[in-house]
Parts: sequence; C-alpha cells; structure tokens
Amino acid sequence: MARPDLAGRLTLYGACVPVLVFLLLPSLVIVPMALTKGQMIEFPPIWISVHSFTDYLGDPQWFESTLLSFQVAALAVVIGCVTGSAAAVALHGKRFSGKGLVSGAIMAPIVVPLVVFALGGYLVFARLHMAGGWVAIGLLHGMLVTPYVFISVQTSLLAALNPLLVRSARSLGAGRLSVLRHVVWPAIRPGVLAGGLLGFAVSFDEVVVALFLQGPRAVTLPVRMFAAIQFELTPKVAASASLFLALSVLVLLAQGVVMRRRVAA
Amino acid sequence: MNVALPIVSAPPQQDAGQADARRHLEVDRVWKSYTAGVHVVRDVSFTLAQGEFLTLLGPSGSGKTSTLMMVAGFEAPSRGAIRVDGRDVAQLPPERRNFGVVFQGYALFPHMTVLENVAFPLRMKGLGGAVRRRAAMEMLDKVGLAEFAARRPHALSGGQQQRVALARALVFEPDALLLDEPLGALDRKLREALQVEIKDIQRRVGVSILFVTHDQDEAMMMSDRIAVMQEGRIAQLGAPDEVYLHPETPFVAGFLGETNLLRGQCLAQQDGYAVVRFAGDVIGPARVSRGGAPPCAGAAVLASIRPERIRLLRTDETAAGVIQGVVADRVFLGRHTRLTVQAPGQTLIVSTAEPPPASVVRGTTVRLGWSREDAQMLNETGEATG
Repeated sequence: MARPDLAGRLTLYGACVPVLVFLLLPSLVIVPMALTKGQMIEFPPIWISVHSFTDYLGDPQWFESTLLSFQVAALAVVIGCVTGSAAAVALHGKRFSGKGLVSGAIMAPIVVPLVVFALGGYLVFARLHMAGGWVAIGLLHGMLVTPYVFISVQTSLLAALNPLLVRSARSLGAGRLSVLRHVVWPAIRPGVLAGGLLGFAVSFDEVVVALFLQGPRAVTLPVRMFAAIQFELTPKVAASASLFLALSVLVLLAQGVVMRRRVAA
Repeated sequence: MNVALPIVSAPPQQDAGQADARRHLEVDRVWKSYTAGVHVVRDVSFTLAQGEFLTLLGPSGSGKTSTLMMVAGFEAPSRGAIRVDGRDVAQLPPERRNFGVVFQGYALFPHMTVLENVAFPLRMKGLGGAVRRRAAMEMLDKVGLAEFAARRPHALSGGQQQRVALARALVFEPDALLLDEPLGALDRKLREALQVEIKDIQRRVGVSILFVTHDQDEAMMMSDRIAVMQEGRIAQLGAPDEVYLHPETPFVAGFLGETNLLRGQCLAQQDGYAVVRFAGDVIGPARVSRGGAPPCAGAAVLASIRPERIRLLRTDETAAGVIQGVVADRVFLGRHTRLTVQAPGQTLIVSTAEPPPASVVRGTTVRLGWSREDAQMLNETGEATG
C-alpha cells in the first residue's frame, strides 16, 4: 500500500483525534478532579493536592466499600470461571436438539435487561434472607461473569482443542479426568484467564445489581460513589474513580498479554 | 525432505519366538447402527495376526473408519465381539484397551515437547519421571528423532510429526497400531515417502497394524492383506495381488483400479474355470470366483479383465481367449501405452508396458488375447454396474 501523503495524513488525524478525545475525555477528566485542593468536586480543580486520595483511603466506610467490591468481584470471578468454562467444555463439539436453548440460557444474564435481572435477584435473595449481604451480590455477579467466560473459553476451545487430541489422549491411556487436566485445561487456560479478567472488571463496576441488593454492611464502591455524588460531592468520588480507571487499564494490559501469548502458542 | 531412517543396531523388540507371538486381534461379526435400521457396519469379521499389516480399504461411508473406531473403543458395536487374544474388549473404554491410535494430522499435544508427547502414555500408566523419559528417548531414538526431543511439535516437519505420533503410539507396547487415514491430507510425494517410513518402522518394531485408507495404491503398497469395504460390509478380504487380480465383485474390481467388465453367458465349467460366450460370439475362458456358487450352464455372468492383462496378439500368436476389435484411441502415458479398442458389443481398455508397433493407430484392427487366469468371473452379474 502506498504511504498516505501529508494532506491525507492530516485529514486522517483531523477525523480521528476529535473522536478519540470525545471518547476518552469523560474518563480522563476525573483524574485532575481528584487532584484538587478543595473539599468539593469541581472543574476546573484547584491545583494540586493528593488529599482526596488519602481522605478516600482513610475513610473507613470508603475503605470498607473498596474491600467489599474486591471481595464481590473475586467471588463472582470464581463462580463465573467455574460455571462458564464447565458449560463451554460440556457443550463443545456436542450436537443435540435444544443446544441453542442451553447456550441462550447461559447468555441470558447479559441479554436480559439489567434492571429486570437485578429485581429478580433481589426478590429471590430477599426470600432467602440474603439480600443486603455481599454474598448475594457476588452470586448474582457470578451469573453476569459466566457468559463472558463462556464465550471466551468457547473461542479458546475452537482454536486449540482438536477433538482428535481428546481421542488421542484416551487411546494413550488417559481417563476422563486426565484428559481434562492434560488436554482440555492447557487449551482453555488463556480463555479462562481472559474471561476472568473481563469478568472482574464487569463485576467491579456493576452498579444496578449492587444498588438493588445493597445493605448497611454491603455497599460496593460504585454504589458508595453514586450516593456520594448525590449527597456529599467530595473529591473522594473522583479519587475512587481514578482507582477504577487504573484498574481498567491494568485489566486491559493483562488481557493484551494473555491474548498475545495465546497467539504465540 | 529427509525420510531416511538411521539403521538401528539393537535387535528388534519382539522376536518371532517370543511368548506373545500368538497375540492377535479378532473382530467377530460386528454390526453398528446409529439410527435404528440403518447399519453403517454390517457383519464385519476379520483377524489381525501378530505382525500383520491389514488394511480396511473403501470409499467414504463404507464403514471402514467406524470399524476402526469400534476397535479403538470410541464407538461401541451394536452387535458382535472384539477380542484380543480371546478376551472380549468391546465393553472397555479406549483408555483401558491397549492400542496405539494414529489419526490424520497426528493429533500431537501442542503444549508439550516431543519428549513429553512420547512419554505421555507412560505417564498415564503411572510410570516415574526418569523411567518414562528413558523409555521415550529410546523410542525417539528408534524413529531417528532423538535430537528433536526438546522441540514443540509445530516446529517439526510433517514427516517428523508422523514419526513422533508413531513413537507415541508405540512406546507403551500396544497390542496393535490403529491408523486412521494418517496420510489422507498430504500431497502424493510426501505420502509415498511416509508410506515407506511406516512400513519400515513396522518391520523394525514388529507391531501389528490395522490401517484405514480410501487410496487403493496406498493399500496395495503397504498391506499384507486388504479388506475391501462397501456399504458397511467386507466385500473381499485377501492379499493385495489376490484382490487386485481376482476380484469377486464388480465393486472390488472397479475400486482397486481400472478394469474391463465383460458380460457373457456361461457355457460350461470345470476345475475352477468356465467357458463363457461373450458379446459378439467370442468364446473364452474365465476363472470361477471362489466366493460364490459356480455358475451353471446358461447363466448370465460378468467377468473382469485388468487392462494390463490383455495382450496385443501378433498375427501368428494365439491365446486362451481371443477377441478382435478396432483401435479407437492410442495414448502414450510414459510407463505404459493405453489403447482403447472397440470390440463387438463393448469397448476394451488395453494397457501395455511395451509400446505396441507403430502400425497400431486409430482405425487399425487388432487381435487381443488373455490367459484363462486373467479373466475373473465375478459373483454378481452386475446389472447395475457399468
């Protein structure tokens, strides 16, 4: 392909840069706001202090919420990885009537409107006297993570698991468990990792379910931020949002590494 | 590509005099159907003797792969038994049978090194790390790949991958090797080289091989015996020259190579040979089929004569069967010359290694002859077959 000339390149940048700025600005504007000297969240900020970060981490309620969000996400990722990969492996290469229905059911949590999903979850867990606890939020988030892991493991399986590998292994003396360990697991590992990372990000900033199922001891970070923006307007919100941003960047980078390794393998 | 294997100084692993020399595989009246009433394998029986190379040959859908998969344990027979040394293994899962299976594409584990691949079956048997590494190295040495032990399979050529797959399937001393069209996806040159290699490794290790292919040349070049399969049945089982020269059905005759099918009427038969009146009142002999009942006088029969078994007769020459015709086409094909001859009632293909005289061109009238063992009477009259 010919190298675009200067005019062409200017046009390209002229079209792309505004779009990228438009997409990134709402995210990036948070960081300077977190670095304000003032006690209010405001724009432009009063340069420059890190007091909002120390305030945020020093506030027991905010700290507890952060910890809780990590806890919820961890539980969700464990559930999602186990169910999502198990489902993908079980359905791989099988043909039966109703397979589409089963796949549809696994994908349902991210297809059904989140409000409906959250309301249903709230009603069920209220009945079980579990609403208002972090475990309930973690369980529901686990359902949300499952489809992500399912899809990503399915992709791994299609790319790396030749059904003949399984047959080969069995003829070489491997029972079903050995096949899972020595043949299936190496094939799906990148998919589980990538799906789990994405799932972590999904759970960590999920707000609708967390809002419906919150309790006095179960306020996740996004829910606390939502409340704070309504009643407090402290720069702690911006500080915690910056933390989110950093986390997302980390997840993206980690996923990039996983994907690159998968390509290399 | 380098296909030469180093000569191994160690004696072959299994001598003929060893105690397990009688070990063999027996497939006994096996049927398979996936949907009620539709059988993909029908009443298949054969035995694989120790050290034998037996090929299941047939077109796709003939049941050859299904048969192999039942032996391997990936499919269960609907009826019938599969025995190893008299012990029925039909109910055992694949991992508890003792067969080395090699698939098309070889199915090497991509995340393991060559050595780990070959050591895998020993690991599954619970052998210790040092023991299995030593055994795997020995086997890799036998197939000439010792220096590639630390590589990953994708870093090897197709031929080297096949040797790894064979080493992996042989390292645990299986009762037999089962090969499911391992060469099916390769180009002809590489395929021929790998055929030689498989035979060579078999000769050195002394293992029995059950081989599946749809390629008749491959089957003939490699096998001790060939089972030609058609629509789930074994149409004919015998040595390559036997099934080629003495086919019992039009299908076998046609599947193993080009042939001339001649329709006729049986006049008499004696001592395994019949006198047949072919089209155009040509009277000649044909070998009676061993499989079917000998035809009685007056019955319609079908005989097969291979193009290279028909001779172009000189004017002073005669043969057991003689037919006259007009040359319709002459094609030089390098290793042989092919004549198409229009005889009364049929067109004959003649293939001669020695080029016919230059006077034989389109329009020349020629006399063709065959010996009585070259015309093989078939079991079917072949009304539907051309």
